[in-house]
Amino acid sequence: MTLWRGIWAALALLSLGLAIFATVPAGWLWPPEAVQVPFAAWLTAGMKWLTESAAIGPVSVKDLTRGFATLIEAPYDLARVLLVDGITEGKGRRATTIIPPLSWVAVTVAAVALGHFARDIKLGLLAGALMIYLAVFGQWDSAMITLASIVIAVPLGVAGGMAMGIAAWRWKAVERALSPILDLMQTIPTFAFLVPILVLFGFGPVAALLATIIYAMPPMVRVTVVALRAVPSEIVDFANMAGCTPWQRMRKVMLPVALPDLMVGVNQVIMLSLNMVIIASMIGAGGLGADVLESLRRLNIGGGIEAGLAITALAVVLDRLGQAMSERVARAEVRTGNWWKRHPRTTLVLIVALVTGALGFLVPALQDWPKAWEITTKPFWSNLIEHININYFDQLEAMRVWFLENLLLPVKRFFLALPWPLMLALLALAGWRLGGWRLAALTLVLSGFVAATGLWEQAMITVYLCGVSVVIAMVLGVPLGIWAASSDGAGKVIGTVVDTLQTLPSFVYLIPVVMLFRVGDFSALIAVVLFAIVPAVKYTAHGLRSVPAELIEAGVVSGCTRWQMLWKVRLPMAVPMILLGLNQTILLALSMLVITALVGTRDLGQEVYAALATADVGRGLVAGLAVAAIAIIADRLIGAAAAGARARLEGAT
Amino acid sequence: MKTGYPMALAALIFSAGTALAEVESTDPIKLTLHDWTGQLITTNIMAAILEEAGYNVELVQADYLAQFPGIESGDLHVAMELWATTAADVMNASIATGNTVSFGETGMQAKEEWWYPIYMKELCPGLPDWKALNDCAELFATPETAPKGRYLGGPVTWGGFDEERIAALGLNYEVIHAGTDAAMFAELESAYQRKDPILLWIYAPHWAPIKYEGEWIEFPAYTPECYTDPAAGENPAAAYDCGKPTGGIFKAGWAGLEGKWPGAAKAIKAFQLTNEEMGAMVGKVDVDGMSIDEVVDEWMTANEAKWTTWIE
Amino acid sequence: MNERPVKLACRHVWKIYGPHPERLLAGGKSPTSDQIRAADHVGAVRDVSLEVGEGEIFVIMGLSGSGKSTLVRCLSRLIEPTGGELLYDGEDLLKASPARMIEIRRHRMGMVFQHFALLPHLTVLENVAFPLEVQGMDREKREARAREVTQLVGLQAREGMYPRQLSGGQQQRVGIARSLAVEPDLWFLDEPFSALDPLIRREMQEEFLRIQRQLKKTIVFITHDFDEAIRLADRIAIMKDGAVVQVATPEELVLNPADDYVTAFTAHVPRAKVVTLGRVAAPGVPDVVAGMLPATARIEAVAEQIVTANAPFAVERDGAVIGHVTPAAVIAILIGKRE
Repeated sequence: MTLWRGIWAALALLSLGLAIFATVPAGWLWPPEAVQVPFAAWLTAGMKWLTESAAIGPVSVKDLTRGFATLIEAPYDLARVLLVDGITEGKGRRATTIIPPLSWVAVTVAAVALGHFARDIKLGLLAGALMIYLAVFGQWDSAMITLASIVIAVPLGVAGGMAMGIAAWRWKAVERALSPILDLMQTIPTFAFLVPILVLFGFGPVAALLATIIYAMPPMVRVTVVALRAVPSEIVDFANMAGCTPWQRMRKVMLPVALPDLMVGVNQVIMLSLNMVIIASMIGAGGLGADVLESLRRLNIGGGIEAGLAITALAVVLDRLGQAMSERVARAEVRTGNWWKRHPRTTLVLIVALVTGALGFLVPALQDWPKAWEITTKPFWSNLIEHININYFDQLEAMRVWFLENLLLPVKRFFLALPWPLMLALLALAGWRLGGWRLAALTLVLSGFVAATGLWEQAMITVYLCGVSVVIAMVLGVPLGIWAASSDGAGKVIGTVVDTLQTLPSFVYLIPVVMLFRVGDFSALIAVVLFAIVPAVKYTAHGLRSVPAELIEAGVVSGCTRWQMLWKVRLPMAVPMILLGLNQTILLALSMLVITALVGTRDLGQEVYAALATADVGRGLVAGLAVAAIAIIADRLIGAAAAGARARLEGAT
Repeated sequence: MKTGYPMALAALIFSAGTALAEVESTDPIKLTLHDWTGQLITTNIMAAILEEAGYNVELVQADYLAQFPGIESGDLHVAMELWATTAADVMNASIATGNTVSFGETGMQAKEEWWYPIYMKELCPGLPDWKALNDCAELFATPETAPKGRYLGGPVTWGGFDEERIAALGLNYEVIHAGTDAAMFAELESAYQRKDPILLWIYAPHWAPIKYEGEWIEFPAYTPECYTDPAAGENPAAAYDCGKPTGGIFKAGWAGLEGKWPGAAKAIKAFQLTNEEMGAMVGKVDVDGMSIDEVVDEWMTANEAKWTTWIE
Repeated sequence: MNERPVKLACRHVWKIYGPHPERLLAGGKSPTSDQIRAADHVGAVRDVSLEVGEGEIFVIMGLSGSGKSTLVRCLSRLIEPTGGELLYDGEDLLKASPARMIEIRRHRMGMVFQHFALLPHLTVLENVAFPLEVQGMDREKREARAREVTQLVGLQAREGMYPRQLSGGQQQRVGIARSLAVEPDLWFLDEPFSALDPLIRREMQEEFLRIQRQLKKTIVFITHDFDEAIRLADRIAIMKDGAVVQVATPEELVLNPADDYVTAFTAHVPRAKVVTLGRVAAPGVPDVVAGMLPATARIEAVAEQIVTANAPFAVERDGAVIGHVTPAAVIAILIGKRE
């Protein structure tokens, strides 16, 4: 152990010394042209081939993808008709409504009924109240557009994810092939695959829908595999002994038994779909995401916050309903009689929909929430920001400058001065120490890839910005997590704040942050920290709460004080969980990169964003892959460290 | 479905008056929407006019530059605002493929240049002449750029050659790139509220020069040679030693449009707006908070005589 | 003793885990456990040959890790054996196609699991009817049949409940009913009572014997509990390290253990529990007898009767008198005196 400590210290000193004092020859500082590979050009050419000449038999790939897009468009159009457009005669400005979409009353009643069905009337009322919130704040129309795409994206994402998960569970080869693809799907910034999607699937809402599905699906695949594996082997044996065909076994035994676990995946798909709302609106999804963007473009901060909170409200409704469904106790009540007697809730919703739809022609308030009843908080938010801006800017500016000069810039300089071969060697060494030669090889290959893309400088800025953000997120997040775990009251408040941060689109706070902290790295840092702090808090709290009661009792019996209990019992036991949180924090920080590019950072995110703006497929994908490479390196190294920590803990108990 | 009958009946009566005029094809003509107000207004007016002529129109959200593959393949049909200042290269490359054609200028002129709020003139009396910039560099400086002045440039993707301009003209300034125009205007709003110094890239037609009082910096006038030939312009040893070019705003679209909807193509080509009209409309939307539809309706009513000639 | 017709037989069945298990058996080889271990493989079932007679309760007894669960899964082909032959009514199951296996399992096999393996989303009745549903039987018919078996295990009052609402014993009754719903000839029970409390376990064993008296299935019963084995078994196979050490009736096991391993299990077993009258009967019949007893009766069951009588009892097997038994002989067994 001391030997290793010595080696690490020597290496750290060496790199520090190199970074500060030495003038490193240019070829050592950044990878020279000679080692760079024109990945971007290859990818662009590949994409061109794919869209222009590739074919499966007589059918070209593009026709195939277009056909697929048409297939998805049909249910999406139906959802639009139900929730947004109704049935109209003519198009655009000349359109006249023949049958209106579902009225706000009908949708609200449906939400209440769903809540009641899933758990109880309390949940129903919560769902209903949040729907009315949407109406009151004038977000109804946009929210329904967003909802229409969510209700299509989520089932498709779930079904696709489940199909892939089942295949991966069934065939080892599929799992092996899928695993790296999923890693990439989750770590490549969404922007990077927007352009290929647009080219393959056409412009419009379907492309946005597909982007959402691709982004939201990976957790469903993983959850499906885990859930199917978790089905007790005896149950599988039973299914076989009962003479189930493979299909019967899956449909009648495995999936129902795995359902509670699968619902965790469904929840993830819902949340991620809502995370995509903003980005999807950039390529034509419309709805709340478009509202957020448009408001912020006009510096209508209040408008952005209201639309953003509407997304949060939708997320809360869908999340709670999803949770309740997964925990829903199958009730033994057997209803008899007519269809409407057996389905009282559905009947009620249908009646309300028809009645309000019909009466809506006479009493428009039943169809559309009247403008006069709307409330807005827009001036409040604008005035708040203006007030802070005018009265506290000097203090904020002083703080910003302090952080820049004492933390951000030195770290940035250090990373930019680090010779790339040294960085590669350090990563490989860390990989070898933590996970053996396989991990060392993986980190070496991935970091070598980054070096070969010619994006080394951007990559280092990425590492610096994410690194500092993650450190700050952990420094703030872990104590918050400890606090949340120590008292129920604090836990509830912190939990609510954290959940809101997770679903509130970061764009909403990006603009106020820029107003107060100017364009640049510090604003980016704040945005990243706000988003990435969530897992730091959640995992810490969860890790502390799930320390076995026996150990706590053992601590009490040994006469631990509160502090000793925390330091000597709970925190050490929670270390694997906190490391997992760190892992997630890093992944989230990396996923925020493209967003921070919008406030002027010069990292890989900017590269991806720039590629999107110039429709350069290869350039975007390469930068995206570089981000993915960094994410995977971080993920594997920390994963190995967490596994080590867990092994030590289990060895000890 | 009993309630359906009266509704359907009502609809029949309503729709009788709006039966479509004879057009070449009822397939929807797809116009692209981007992310700035002026473009949304232009495109919505065009859509309204085409609908008046009886065409089916669909508005599709698409990225400003990423739309070209879509136009070339015929997925998208019309882009209403292509600024010579920002999209010239991409547009020309697309036209060179033979799948995209230009529908001419919109009549509006794009202007992009360094800009400052009017209150800065008191602190730096030499403005708007660019030669005064160096005297006020300290005024515009922030801790990271000091002693250089801070100039907030557009997103990197906009290009603009500001670093080159600074070097060529010997300006004591540093360019800080905003990631998006939203971030850029957020800083402007913030500084304007506090009456703090700020110097940034602004383009027009846009709501910012309407909402905020200010002036453009007057650089040596742009010439094409100034960008290409070091000998030309202020500094005999460097290119880019002049202001930014101004340029037209173009309409372009799918090459097959003229064959499929000849009438529509004619209307699109005829479409014209002036900077003043556009500035006023953008101001109504972004500053006064009117909706785009309202502004478009207003324009359609006020200019019926004009647009009816485009579609006859 | 095994005059019943053979229902299920396995010959030289192997199950070896590892990267290349088939190589170890190539060319009819029969590797020792040391050889298997040296090749970095695990021999879970090693060269097992058994014959189970019709209507017999055949118990496979072994400690955890002895391979008994793997063996029963090889017998039902839930696990594909590495080598060997598996005959059910003369048909080689290992050569059966997947479709044929489904057919056989749907109609001729049933299995009860240690942790019940009930489907949590179905009610008691639906669980019991599940194997019938899989066959495609229509709802009315299968529910009628499910009601019958549910009644057989005494759960008719709880048909509409979900598994989680039942106690462990009740859950296993559902498991038993479910495995019987298709009226299988061959009934596998994989440690069915191990997860239950001792008192309930007793009760369930009685219940099991009662059902078996009624249905007369061919049974393969797995347990790690030697007491349970001798209570229930017609014959017992004792497993150790994947191989069968001895196959015998409970009586023979106790009286003639094959090796020290078996002795270790049987040593503490009161002989009276397993030894039958046939074993202690002396030849000839005295003039005065107190009565007639069957040769298959276990000493424990008749000891009091014999000891308190004032004359020996005659012992008969299959209607013929084979000898007599004296109180002294019974007492010798009761006090554990070695022969």
